[in-house]
Amino acid sequence: MGKLRQQVSKWMMQNLELPADVVMDLPRITMIGQLHIYIENHRGVKAFSNEQLKLKLKHGTLVISGREFVIKTILPEEILLEGTISSVDFEND
Amino acid sequence: MKSKWGNNFKGYVRIEIIGQESSSFINTCIQSGIQIWDIKPIDGDRVHVSISVPDVQRAKAILKQNKLKIRIKEKKGTPFLLKKMWKRNGFMLGMVSFIFILFLLSNMIWNINVIGANPKTEYELRKAALEIGVKKGKFIFLLPNVREVQRQLTEKMGNVTWIGVTQYGTSYRFEVVEKEIPKEKLITGPRHLVATKQAVIHSLFVEKGQPVVTVNDYVRKGTLLVSGYIGKEKKPELVSAKGEIFGEVWYETRVEIPLNTSFQTYTGKFENRHYVSLFGLDIPIYGFSDGEFQDKTETLNESPLYLAKWKLPVSYIKKEIRETDGVKRSYTKAEAIEVGKKMAKKELLKKLPEDAKIKGEKVWQQKVSNGKVKLTMLYKVIENIASEQPIPIQQGE
Repeated sequence: MGKLRQQVSKWMMQNLELPADVVMDLPRITMIGQLHIYIENHRGVKAFSNEQLKLKLKHGTLVISGREFVIKTILPEEILLEGTISSVDFEND
Repeated sequence: MKSKWGNNFKGYVRIEIIGQESSSFINTCIQSGIQIWDIKPIDGDRVHVSISVPDVQRAKAILKQNKLKIRIKEKKGTPFLLKKMWKRNGFMLGMVSFIFILFLLSNMIWNINVIGANPKTEYELRKAALEIGVKKGKFIFLLPNVREVQRQLTEKMGNVTWIGVTQYGTSYRFEVVEKEIPKEKLITGPRHLVATKQAVIHSLFVEKGQPVVTVNDYVRKGTLLVSGYIGKEKKPELVSAKGEIFGEVWYETRVEIPLNTSFQTYTGKFENRHYVSLFGLDIPIYGFSDGEFQDKTETLNESPLYLAKWKLPVSYIKKEIRETDGVKRSYTKAEAIEVGKKMAKKELLKKLPEDAKIKGEKVWQQKVSNGKVKLTMLYKVIENIASEQPIPIQQGE
């Protein structure tokens, strides 16, 4: 069932020109240089430290690394992180 | 980010969370709708978090569930700032009262200077000013404005020609021009009396001296009227001639009377409006109707407030709106001539000395042109034409 739905949404995205983040519940990430990173559609904080933020996604984990992290704002589906960001990784578990 | 100002206003606290599982706390907070922001990890098990005051109790409960410790680090925002300020209320009170006192003092009269008056007039002037309310320690904004003070003072002081009132910040300056009452000459040397103008002698009252002219004589300006030499021809004696010589003098006066004039009068109806002017913006505080007058004149009275020597951007403005009525006056030719005669007479009387009498009048010329009546009037006036002329004493005779 899940697989079928995923295929349908993938088809919709490709053929109906709907934005992928809406159709497939993917995170939308906006970065401003190394200073800010803004993530929509996350599923909660897994771990947070000075140098690393792990965010739960629908599928897998988003790992943001850098220095001097501060979560400026956090809302149920949005998060604004400040600091010096050096990398953004996706981990699929 | 949007609610930053709101948070500042309502007040928030910065807390330190001690424990391993801070990320689960963040998650629970979000799920239960507690807003947290500025989350900053300090080291392995300490995190600083901002949270609004009303949410603190709920957050504490969540922290207990997660077995985390809490410590309040800072209290921020307006409520806490106010509290702090209230603790130092003496200081605040001092500051406010200082400004208030400075404000009051700079709107007070500190000095009244009188310039150009002799001590008697000065004393009277100060007394008159006191009656109006201008005295040391009075508030300037409670007094009528300078023009009004000047008018009232000039009315009250009879022996003064003019009073100039100026206000320099907290001091008033009265400049006085006194009426100069000329002193009578007591000691007079030998003199003649001569005519001041061309006239026909009407009557003579000679107290001292030898009259040279008789009634109905025609004299020119400078003609000798009463001689200062009296006595025998061979041994004349010098006296100071004294007397009044009345002569008939002709005066010519020209007047123009327009047949139609329009002018404005006040009907007596008026409205007052009061404003407080803030930075040039007039805010009405009392009196909101313009009176709905058809014709009106407006006068503005502004009384500014001062702080030390600076004019505050706040001032009180009183606006008077008075209804006016346009009146048209038109004369017939006969009426215009009548009015013209009266005017001419009035004008003449202004020029004449007090003891002069108008004996007769005559319309010399009358002309109507451009809607105006032009009159030339001739007046026969009886007046004193004598004036003194000293006799130079010739020595070595």
